[in-house]
Amino acid sequence: MQRWGSLEDAEGKYISPFHDIPLFAGSKEDKEIPAKRSKTIGTEVLLNMIVEVPRWTNAKMEIATEEPLNPIKQDIKKGKLRYVANIFPHKGYIWNYGALPQTWEDPNHTDDVTGCCGDNDPIDVCEIGSKIRSSGEIVQVKVLGVLALVDEGETDWKIIAISVDDPEAQKIHDIDDVKKYKPGYLEATVDWFRLYKVPDGKPENQFAFNGEFKDKDFALEIIKSTHEYWKALLHKKADGGTIQCTNVLVSGSPFCCSEEDARSIVQKAPVPVPGDSVSPQVDSWYFFPK
Amino acid sequence: MAGYSVEERAAPHSLEYRLFFKDAAGRYISPFHDIPIYADAGKNVFNMVVEVPRWTNAKMEIATKDPLNPIKQDVKKGKLRYVANVFPHKGYIWNYGAIPQTWEDPGHKDENTGCCGDNDPIDVCEIGSKVCSRGEVIQVKVLGTLALIDEGETDWKIIAINVKDPEADNYNDINDVRRLKPGYLEATVDWFRRYKVPDGKPENQFAFNGEFKDKDFAVNVIKCTHEHWKALVAKKTDGGEINCTNLTVSDSPFCCSQECAKATVEAAPPCKAANPIPPEVDKWFYYQKN
Repeated sequence: MQRWGSLEDAEGKYISPFHDIPLFAGSKEDKEIPAKRSKTIGTEVLLNMIVEVPRWTNAKMEIATEEPLNPIKQDIKKGKLRYVANIFPHKGYIWNYGALPQTWEDPNHTDDVTGCCGDNDPIDVCEIGSKIRSSGEIVQVKVLGVLALVDEGETDWKIIAISVDDPEAQKIHDIDDVKKYKPGYLEATVDWFRLYKVPDGKPENQFAFNGEFKDKDFALEIIKSTHEYWKALLHKKADGGTIQCTNVLVSGSPFCCSEEDARSIVQKAPVPVPGDSVSPQVDSWYFFPK
Repeated sequence: MAGYSVEERAAPHSLEYRLFFKDAAGRYISPFHDIPIYADAGKNVFNMVVEVPRWTNAKMEIATKDPLNPIKQDVKKGKLRYVANVFPHKGYIWNYGAIPQTWEDPGHKDENTGCCGDNDPIDVCEIGSKVCSRGEVIQVKVLGTLALIDEGETDWKIIAINVKDPEADNYNDINDVRRLKPGYLEATVDWFRRYKVPDGKPENQFAFNGEFKDKDFAVNVIKCTHEHWKALVAKKTDGGEINCTNLTVSDSPFCCSQECAKATVEAAPPCKAANPIPPEVDKWFYYQKN
């Protein structure tokens, strides 16, 4: 059975995680950054991240961009609930995985870097902190870098970020710090994205920049442009196709609706029930020739 | 060999937790002494008691010093023990457990390793797809062995596969593992070399340069540990604090009655819901390999 998780804000009003959570969480004075290292002289941009998939789990949970209020639900492929394969030596997802709200990879736009159109989703984030987060959790993160994945021919940037609350966040500020403090993690990340759909019969994925990670400043530019595409979407200046832009908090958006309307959308969904047991095939480990 | 079951006492992930074993008739038994070593001696099919399911961290073990040898969680420095996640691994990377009716005699120096036995049943890494349950008794085909020297003690690791694995017919010796699961044996050596480093211990050593020996060699090692066990339960060897209480070993001076066994189990607290696992257990440890 599919499961839906609707989001409520701090006041208990129903909101869309896609449209109603601010992308920017504010900036942080960070006295740990030596002035010459940081172009912003000791402050770091903090973003909100919506966690879809906790680290080490397999269920492919996603923001439902085509449903009103965009709840999180489990992806379905060929009529079956989708679980990501375990690509040896990895178990499920190897980071807390999710999305940045108020961003959109516009499929009508060809990216200069990848040469491909956007994948029609918010921009994806791999959060590399120690704590395993929950699906639907909102985490404040620092951006560290980005990987330019071309997933089945579509531009699919993967932002690398870390929770500001992580015990190591004080010493991790940019992509080189990830290489230093978590050796092998970035290589594993490329490996994972290259292979993760092969057990489903798809080919290996490709990357721009030869699979190299770009740094924080580059990543922030990418995020800013996907934020602009989202703004155009919400103000009906871009064609969103089947994307549901219903929101509660974006003033000036023609798609803005009332709290009452939001509540009635949620009440139409089935009531919560305990989860189904997962098929043992989800535990299979896929091995590839070296 | 069907029909073994378990009875949980107290809460999983507590100091009091015990997993007792029962035979097909519901009689309490010792998983160390009363489960036959062989499921099919002619085919080198052995019984295995699963202590730690793949991808979990709680260090559960057959309690060799307690009557009826239930499975319990290991304790170090007064705290429940959880194995570290040594990147890229998550918890244990096989279903891990022991072969019943075997014993690595600490009074006996192994000619291959030059070290004395670790005073435990012989350990097994089961490499099939299914994630087994704690306390499950499965039948395995032995494929090979790794000669670990763990903190200076001989600690053979038998590599085996569940006879019920869908691919089991393709696995008959150690080379099949190399061929069909490339990287798995290397990952196994890596895991055992480094798994205690996060606890401040040094890297472990191996005999034979960390090379895996084949099936025939492994079966021979198991047979030796079976002989040591026979001497133990016949009181020909001094087992020290090992508890040899058993229900089925004829001529053993340690054989006891079902009433006695029942009293042991009933002294344990009633079964309860599991305690949560501390979040520190989720940390991923990184360091450069030597």
